[in-house]
Amino acid sequence: MDDDPRLGLLLALADDELIIGHRHSEWTGWAPHIEEDLAFSSIAQDEMAHARLLYGLAREAGLTDRDEDALALGRRPEEYRNAVLCERPNGDWGFTVARQYLYDSADSVRVADLAESPWPELAEIMKVIQLEEKYHADHAVAWFRRLADGPSLTARERFAEGLAAAMGEAIALFDPVPGEARLVSQGVLPRSSEEMLAEWLSHVGEALEGFSLDYVLARHGPVGEMVPTGSGEIPLEASDFQVPGVVRRDGVWAHEGGFTGAGGRRGRHSVDFLPLWEEMTALYRAHPGARW
Amino acid sequence: MVIRTGEDERVERDVWAALAGVHDPEIPPCSITDLGIVEGVRVSDEAVEVDLLPTFAGCPALDVIRQDAEAALRAVADERDVRVRFVFTPPWTSARITEAGRRALTAYGVTPPGESGKGPVLVPLASLSRSEGTRCPFCGSRDTALESAFGPTLCRATHYCRACRNPFEAFKPKTSPHASIGAPLPPA
Repeated sequence: MDDDPRLGLLLALADDELIIGHRHSEWTGWAPHIEEDLAFSSIAQDEMAHARLLYGLAREAGLTDRDEDALALGRRPEEYRNAVLCERPNGDWGFTVARQYLYDSADSVRVADLAESPWPELAEIMKVIQLEEKYHADHAVAWFRRLADGPSLTARERFAEGLAAAMGEAIALFDPVPGEARLVSQGVLPRSSEEMLAEWLSHVGEALEGFSLDYVLARHGPVGEMVPTGSGEIPLEASDFQVPGVVRRDGVWAHEGGFTGAGGRRGRHSVDFLPLWEEMTALYRAHPGARW
Repeated sequence: MVIRTGEDERVERDVWAALAGVHDPEIPPCSITDLGIVEGVRVSDEAVEVDLLPTFAGCPALDVIRQDAEAALRAVADERDVRVRFVFTPPWTSARITEAGRRALTAYGVTPPGESGKGPVLVPLASLSRSEGTRCPFCGSRDTALESAFGPTLCRATHYCRACRNPFEAFKPKTSPHASIGAPLPPA
């Protein structure tokens, strides 16, 4: 069953929730105020529960013989399929909120799609998840407003920094899982990830424009090597001002070209993943098969 | 083919009565039947099978509820096997809470769902605006503010009543799918 692309899809969905849930849980006791301790702890609890449902489905569908604990905690680092965005450290509060907004808005697009999947067991789980994610989206949107439109310019700047740092890797949430074409032709995925990305990015671009924050989509890269011209000037191309993969076309922010920080869907991770993995799996590695 | 006997029907009535004595440890006054999480009961000569719906998938009380339900069912199942499991279809919604459940929640100091206000998710800093809030379970006032959509359990949110100056909790409404991407409204 190793070549069944449904396993890669379930692991991508579940690992995103597990790993971002782990990062959220790191705010427990450390958030700026106690309501946010509770908020991020609760969101973490929801995300880990969603991961558990999806791991359970992988086993029930015969795609793996590992149980939910073995899948969550008993895999090697390169076996995790989460997007790199999810594993980045929480860092600044501005980054935390920016990432939560970008992640949960992207998640709501794919969850809505998969709630209509002809794979009935997956659709059932997604409908449950959809009801609970509402509170995550509300939380992200409320903080978006508070930081982007609040009385503090510092808060707005730190939020913008967070958005700029997270944006490229948020796009890579839509890096296709291996075998996506088969999943689409089988009907498991109602749409390609490219179509989902287009819907999400145009929405996010519009939301950012509403708060005059769309400049984070057109930050000064420069992405490629800069070569002086004969006159000594360095010509700046439009692409030098943009997050890799984002262009404005016919008034809509759209994706074009490659991904930044992609690879999670094929088990490639950033330097930030290993310390997280070591901590998250420490007990399970010391006591393989531990139950709690 | 399962032939239902009068004996099975009697056991089924006992099963529902036994389940009415099982409570969610996070909401002690509300029985699981009033919470609306009992989705199905099947009684045959061999087994008593009960399907439960979790309120929230990450609810840490699920295992306790299942164990309590199994213990209560063993007392009425005679020699039958007892099987209790959680299922996810249909998704539980807060509309499944019964009138008795709503009264139990209010008496416990938790506003039942459906008494929600229309205020913002997070009160804007330094805001003096007052919108219609969630009804206070203590004094009944709507002059309340949502402090956080999160609280001591996954199913409860935290509010503050300006009229009687009590903090209180409300059961999170869980009614319809979140259809659209969260959209922050631009500044007015």
